[in-house]
Amino acid sequence: MKGLVFPLVALVALQILAMVWGIESDNLASPVSVLQAAWTAALDGTVLTAASHTLSTTLGGLAIGGTLGLLLGLLIGLVQPIDRLLTVSLEFLRPVPSVALIPIALLIFGLGYRMELVIVAKGCFWPILIMTRAAIRGIHPRLMEVSRMLKLGPVARIWKIFLPAALPRLFVGLRLAAGVGLTIAVTVEIATNPYGLGYAVMFAQQSFRPDLMFGMLLWIGIIGWSFNAFLLFAQNRLFGRAALVGARS
Amino acid sequence: MNKNTTRTGKILWLLASLAFAAALIAGWQLIANMRLISPVFLPGPDRAFDAAVTGFESGELGGKLLLTVERMIYGWVLSSILGVALGTLIGSSALARSYFGPTLEFIRPLPASAIAPIAITLFGLSNASVLVLIAFGTIWPMLLATIHGFAAIHPRLTEVGHVLKLSRLETIWKIALPNAVPDILASMRLGLTISLILTIVGEMLMGLEGIGNSILLAARSFDAPNLYAGVILIGLIGLVSNLLLDMMDRRLLRWRPSR
Amino acid sequence: MTAFDQASARKLKNSEQLFTGTEVDKGMKSAEPLITFRNVCLDFVGRRILQDINLSIGRQEFVCVVGPSGCGKTTTLRLIAGLLQPTSGEIVYNGKPVREPARDIAVVFQDYTNALLPWRTAAGNVSLALEAAGVPRTERPDRIAALLEKVGLGNRGEAYPSELSGGMQQRLQIARCLAQEPSVLLMDEPFGALDAMTRQHLQDQVLRIMDQSGTTVFFVTHDLEEAIYLADRVIALAPNPGRVAEVFDIKLPRPRNQLTTREDPEFLRLRRKIFDFVQESEA
Ligand SMILES: Nc1ncnc2c1ncn2[C@@H]1O[C@H](COP(=O)(O)OP(=O)(O)OP(=O)(O)O)[C@@H](O)[C@H]1O
Ligand SMILES: [Mg+2]
Repeated sequence: MKGLVFPLVALVALQILAMVWGIESDNLASPVSVLQAAWTAALDGTVLTAASHTLSTTLGGLAIGGTLGLLLGLLIGLVQPIDRLLTVSLEFLRPVPSVALIPIALLIFGLGYRMELVIVAKGCFWPILIMTRAAIRGIHPRLMEVSRMLKLGPVARIWKIFLPAALPRLFVGLRLAAGVGLTIAVTVEIATNPYGLGYAVMFAQQSFRPDLMFGMLLWIGIIGWSFNAFLLFAQNRLFGRAALVGARS
Repeated sequence: MNKNTTRTGKILWLLASLAFAAALIAGWQLIANMRLISPVFLPGPDRAFDAAVTGFESGELGGKLLLTVERMIYGWVLSSILGVALGTLIGSSALARSYFGPTLEFIRPLPASAIAPIAITLFGLSNASVLVLIAFGTIWPMLLATIHGFAAIHPRLTEVGHVLKLSRLETIWKIALPNAVPDILASMRLGLTISLILTIVGEMLMGLEGIGNSILLAARSFDAPNLYAGVILIGLIGLVSNLLLDMMDRRLLRWRPSR
Repeated sequence: MTAFDQASARKLKNSEQLFTGTEVDKGMKSAEPLITFRNVCLDFVGRRILQDINLSIGRQEFVCVVGPSGCGKTTTLRLIAGLLQPTSGEIVYNGKPVREPARDIAVVFQDYTNALLPWRTAAGNVSLALEAAGVPRTERPDRIAALLEKVGLGNRGEAYPSELSGGMQQRLQIARCLAQEPSVLLMDEPFGALDAMTRQHLQDQVLRIMDQSGTTVFFVTHDLEEAIYLADRVIALAPNPGRVAEVFDIKLPRPRNQLTTREDPEFLRLRRKIFDFVQESEA
């Protein structure tokens, strides 16, 4: 509850400030007008259209980049020689920021859904790759030995030991990647791509509508936060009492 | 197996790994030479390298590189100082933590780039605007890590402070801050990555001279070699800064038991 | 024999005579050993851990291994399991050198928490071994129930390992090993982390189960009394590098009993003897 005090006080103070000094202008808007703009944007469908573009790109990129990351992560996690062989290449590729690929994607795909998708996929690829590898590495050696003593075949080993043991961490990776994906999608939209939530904010800014700009930012906040909260909820739900031990180790 | 052979083993693996990277580049060259992908989209590494060399010889690329790195570092340093200072203020008081913590946690997952339109609104398309964007977009990890470092201090250490009758300032300086250092360093690493991203975004958005802007312009004019050269340079900035941070970590965290 | 041994032997002469009358005949067991160590040496990162181990273990024999911490008990056990390969020499099991884990050798690991699958229930953990052995799905529930019953977990089949006490988790691991229907059971300080009461209870359970199934047991422990209580033979290892220092034959009557066996003069004599030996070798 204490947590609500600060934002409420700040908003009220801003509102009073706005009313007393009249700071409303091309640059600033009072909290009340921001809320009004946010409400209107929700009613006239602006938010829905923008959010569905941004979220579908995020999920699509997550699916593509996540799958690739998972596969490569499993490969380098399970087969050490491949991991060692790829070290240098991966260490060189990893620091290339996703936004640096915007121009390349732009060159190849032009503006639109595909270029954003590719960049989001690239962004989601790394956290999943790294978490998958760490998850496999984090499996206690004793479990490997148990599977050896029981003479489990390679498929049974992956299916019955490695995947379930790694699953809690894999989901953490998925959650991180989803957050990264959303951030990147919005960033691409702000930087170049004229679709989605990010562009809605830029558009409001360029048409001198600070109320709408802050309103859309508010929506980005709400959507991003709910997205995150949903994934956290799913994580706790999916990995209840059984897997908590595994997640900790 | 003894220590010697494991060390030579390591070196051999490193060489193999380098060879593999070289093979990848060679594969790239081959794909480009065979024109499996149109050279408009994918120039060979040779052409990208030539473009970089030409760019550096004319001094143009070097200048842009410097500008970008400068922005990134300014923004990062600024946000680190602000983040740690603000984090200390909030973190050292349980009361402040309970009032501000939730708001900060709410803001944290938001895309840092969303600050860009605000910065442009307030400061226009300017250098100051980019700095504000970088500093405020990058501040969150440092701020939250510092607060967390204060919150996660072991009660035994606080008691040591009490027993030794340290003043509040001394407790912060001698116990709480050092305790938060590992967290802060980890967050500064993340911060540097974000700082580079926001520098690129900022340059693209505000059309400021720098590598970020130059790759966007290269893409618009279908100048693939310069585009790829720029992207590789940005990757190198990330790589080198990470290596430097690694070195810093190792110096500052020597007291920690190695994991 | 050391002078001390002779002295204690004299002191215990009386009881020894008593004991000879009740000696159990081990002659029934096959003469040809099941497991043989031939000049086994093992190096880790250039350090010699095991030096020239020669050992044979008979069918249905219960062998306990004692020795100071770090002397190579676990390592010896892992060699039999096929989890490690010797640097030189060989381990022969059933007439063939050990190259990899065998399906009929089971290991009860010391750290049961890590050796159980936390995401599977107790029944699921036992099931894993049956799945690995290709037991048809329809047969599994009955066998799982029987195995859990055997280790006294009959009503905890649906519990997750994290919901079981340490002793229960260890019993669960034993149940999973029994599901393998092993010819050889390797146990690495299985009861080390348990309290005295639980430990005694589990010792008797293991003895009973072994008696029923005729499994050969290789049992590592720190606890000399536990070793004497359980074993047909106690092998004492000496450290740096690990080697066999002494082998003690335990000729206590079976079935054993926590009260009477531990009060048996022969038990006390052996305890004294092995204790003195270990003290001496550590000095
Ligand atoms: N993976 C390893 N790498 C290097 N040395 C090892 C490794 N495992 C064991 N050792 C060394 O081998 C020696 C024997 O270890 P082992 O685990 O067999 O001892 P132990 O008799 O089982 O001891 P404890 O009673 O404490 O369990 C020790 O000195 C240990 O340091
Ligand atoms: Mg051991």
